Amino acid sequence: MTAVNRKWTDGMLRTEDWWAVWLGLIMFFAGMLSIWGIDAVGWMAKPKTWEWTSFWSDPSWGKLLAVSHGGTGKAYESMHPLISLIVTWLIFAALTSLGAYFQKLNVKKFFLGFTCIFFITWTAWVAGHEAHFKALKTGQSITQSEIYGSNVYCTTKVNKCTKQINKALKNDGIDVSAGQVPTQEQAAAAVSKSKNSITMAWGLQLGGGFSYMLALAVGLIIGNFFKGFAGFLSAAAKPEWFIKTAIVYLGIKLGLMTMKATGFAVELALAGAAATFVAYLMFWPIVYTLGRKAFKLRRDASAVLSSGISICGVSAAIATAGAIRAKPILPVAVSMLIVVFAMSELVVLPAFYSAVAPDQPIVNGAAMGMTVKTDGADAAAGAILDEMMVANHYSKTGVQWESDWILSAAILTKIWIDVFIGVWAFVLALIWVYKVERKPGESHVKVSEIWFRFPKFVLGYFIAWMFYIGIAVWFPDAIKAATSGANVVQSPMRKMMFMLTFVAIGVITDFSKLKGMGKLAVLYAVALFGIIAPIAYVVAFIFHRGMTPPIVGS
Amino acid sequence: MKADIELHLIHDGNRWVGRNDRLTAKGEELSDLDSDIRRILQQSGEYPVGSKLTVFMGFDFDTIPTWLRQYHTHYFNRVLSIEL
Repeated sequence: MTAVNRKWTDGMLRTEDWWAVWLGLIMFFAGMLSIWGIDAVGWMAKPKTWEWTSFWSDPSWGKLLAVSHGGTGKAYESMHPLISLIVTWLIFAALTSLGAYFQKLNVKKFFLGFTCIFFITWTAWVAGHEAHFKALKTGQSITQSEIYGSNVYCTTKVNKCTKQINKALKNDGIDVSAGQVPTQEQAAAAVSKSKNSITMAWGLQLGGGFSYMLALAVGLIIGNFFKGFAGFLSAAAKPEWFIKTAIVYLGIKLGLMTMKATGFAVELALAGAAATFVAYLMFWPIVYTLGRKAFKLRRDASAVLSSGISICGVSAAIATAGAIRAKPILPVAVSMLIVVFAMSELVVLPAFYSAVAPDQPIVNGAAMGMTVKTDGADAAAGAILDEMMVANHYSKTGVQWESDWILSAAILTKIWIDVFIGVWAFVLALIWVYKVERKPGESHVKVSEIWFRFPKFVLGYFIAWMFYIGIAVWFPDAIKAATSGANVVQSPMRKMMFMLTFVAIGVITDFSKLKGMGKLAVLYAVALFGIIAPIAYVVAFIFHRGMTPPIVGS
Repeated sequence: MKADIELHLIHDGNRWVGRNDRLTAKGEELSDLDSDIRRILQQSGEYPVGSKLTVFMGFDFDTIPTWLRQYHTHYFNRVLSIEL
């Protein structure tokens, strides 16, 4: 059996890229059934925020896990949370194993590896939901700590806790919306009546970002210290497949967000496209020239490395190597470098950006999209940045940005880059075949090469996005019903795919592979941190400055 | 447009190899591979002298390491025009 792309339909069952579309759209359409009152996704498990002392005083699965419920029916109301987790595992193991079968992977190895990764992921996800790490302070605890105390935390969305406390006060005859101020005793009584507010001596307020960091750390420890186990897991450690599926689910989220903030979403998409185009034209020639002049690299090595560093990592390196007809060993070597460096960016940049520019959330997200290579690492870094910046801003100001806009900025810029890879590789192929090498007889470069290099998961992302915009425009009465199913897919399901990505990306990152890379590794580091990151930030600043996510509840 | 001859293309670590059921051509560089294809076709006597042929070569992506295939799904295809 061979894998040659000949027809435009080739690869539809064979590649992970297409399987991200299928997995994404299967759940997308399952979620859409809520329009007709069918809850086909409510079995999905999700972690709950839990507190250590409270849990151990009376341990139960119900304190750690919950069933999602699509909101359209009672089909899963009596389901035990643990059964929900098992159903989630069975459905995703079955779907991904089906994909593995068509991709001609070893299905038995894939299934066993996926099962291990799945439960490692969920262990990290649940652990990351411990309240001391995850929970944010309530609005009252930030803005009126002298009355409510500075140690009241919320185990759900903070605006929900704020409302619960205000409602409890109103029931006691104190209307804070009318300017009435409770006493400390009345405030304490209202906090105790709020279902999701808890008092804790300390809390790191990391939001969902802690789960991501924990999953990444677990993956990296396995990948670098338990290499035998990592080898076993590698059959199912597919961060690009997982993240591309998550990005299709994110299309649903973006659709829902667009319903609420259409102008902002459109502005974000257009600014992302413009910024990406500008950055593209600067990155590649600079890095190529640096490789040729300063590092004396061969023309093909310099071209492949330039694409890998400046465009979209491994994908661009392979596309460019193919376009210039380089021997396959070249993109393989460069790709090892890219994967390891992408991990470094993922660890360093979210904390750096949120510390240096805490008031430029969208600039930071877009800069992340242009700087961090590989879709998986970029989406992962965007997710951490989003959680980190939203939590930090809230803890400092008491104002909560809507989540996922920063992540969307990071993903949108990356998607424009991905889409452009095929075109860029086509242009390079023309230059190489007709100008650089001029091999007699090689008649022409087919335009179909653009399609073969087009990232197919982007189709799923845009289908999901546009579908929800279509509902908002043409069937506004169906928005509520459509949202209830969509919320399960775009929230717990998408976040689970992100978590799987974090573990998988850690598992396949072996830092010892940097040994022997010498000149290439030095050039990569110089170009990335000395050229790409600063230029990306300046370009992102020019196109996105001043943009901030909508505020929760506004 | 269908090519006169279709070959699967791989790189074995040392040489480019183009093959189908009837022929296997090899070359260190792609230009060497093209020359080998021309030589084999001329020697086969299957086509009259002066024939103009198009040869489609599709790179077999299964020869790219498994861990790398998740990032991209295509290497390259090329079309060669030769006159025997």
